[in-house]
Amino acid sequence: MAMQGVTAFHQKVSRMLSRQEKKPILKPNKPLALKDEVANRKMKKGEATCVTEISILMTCWKQNNFVEAMCSNEMKSFYSCVEKAQAEMKENSKQEAIGKGARLTPKLANTLLKKYPNMRIEI
Amino acid sequence: MSASVTGLLKPWTPRVFLVRWSRYNPYYLEPEPRKDLYSIPESELTAEQKEERDLKAVRPIKAATSGVTSSPFDDPVLSKFITMMMKDGDKVLARGIMTQTLESIKRNQVEKYHKAPEGKRDEIECNPYAIFHQALEHCKPVIGLASIQKGGKFYQVPIPLTDNRRRFMAMKWLITECRDNKHRRTLMYEKLSQEIMAAYDKEGNVIKKKHELHKMAESNRAYAHYRWW
Repeated sequence: MAMQGVTAFHQKVSRMLSRQEKKPILKPNKPLALKDEVANRKMKKGEATCVTEISILMTCWKQNNFVEAMCSNEMKSFYSCVEKAQAEMKENSKQEAIGKGARLTPKLANTLLKKYPNMRIEI
Repeated sequence: MSASVTGLLKPWTPRVFLVRWSRYNPYYLEPEPRKDLYSIPESELTAEQKEERDLKAVRPIKAATSGVTSSPFDDPVLSKFITMMMKDGDKVLARGIMTQTLESIKRNQVEKYHKAPEGKRDEIECNPYAIFHQALEHCKPVIGLASIQKGGKFYQVPIPLTDNRRRFMAMKWLITECRDNKHRRTLMYEKLSQEIMAAYDKEGNVIKKKHELHKMAESNRAYAHYRWW
């Protein structure tokens, strides 16, 4: 049943390409076949991390005329926030490299498709 | 005659091997030069350290560079500073300048110590290594600027910096300040010792440069949202 569906599809495509009845509907400039890879999509842009910490630190600086001795608490919280953000990013990238993230990255999809490529020669 | 003939029968090996851009296989681990880590008895190792030791027993380890020693005086920060000061690969000269700098710092501090009254003597720090580290800490910027393009224009956006980047910036500022903005006839060790002492007291051009960077970051704080990481 699947074979019948496949051959019917081939006949339709060849009719669309042929010049016998009317003008051909399709004029493909590339071969009508699926590639063994996926295009790289634009990554969704993340947001800036630790912006609140930065703004608190900067208000403290403004008030104390950039003397650092007075702003040690804000600086400590800023550094801790930065460390946390960096650790999180590292974790996320590691998870994505394994494949446990939310989406299948194009890199992973390509490795999978390379393992099971399309048939190029009919056996 | 037989000696020369047997010499010709050797397989040809090149006398010169290209080494400059070669890289160790990532499988190799970094060497650990510090002796005190090896003298910890078995019982006091944490689980992580035990794991590391087991891993090191099976993996190959890179050769240590010649700038690294197992002596207690080996300081990675100081070695990095010496390497940054080095010109044309002359590590001997750079190290000599650094030792002269530390010596002159010590001399100045001991002079101050002996001239100071009894009450103030405890506050004067005589260890030049401690002074160098403290001065470097004072020179490190907290926040840096990155040039980010948005809508065709480039904006200077305040970004958090990694520790390595901050240390590098502090060292670079110290060295360029000493090389460019001092009197022509003073020697490098004098210039460096003056700059380091000034940075220890939170004065001087390097601290000024750091404050200017902070001020720029503060004035551009509205662009902080242009970052995407």
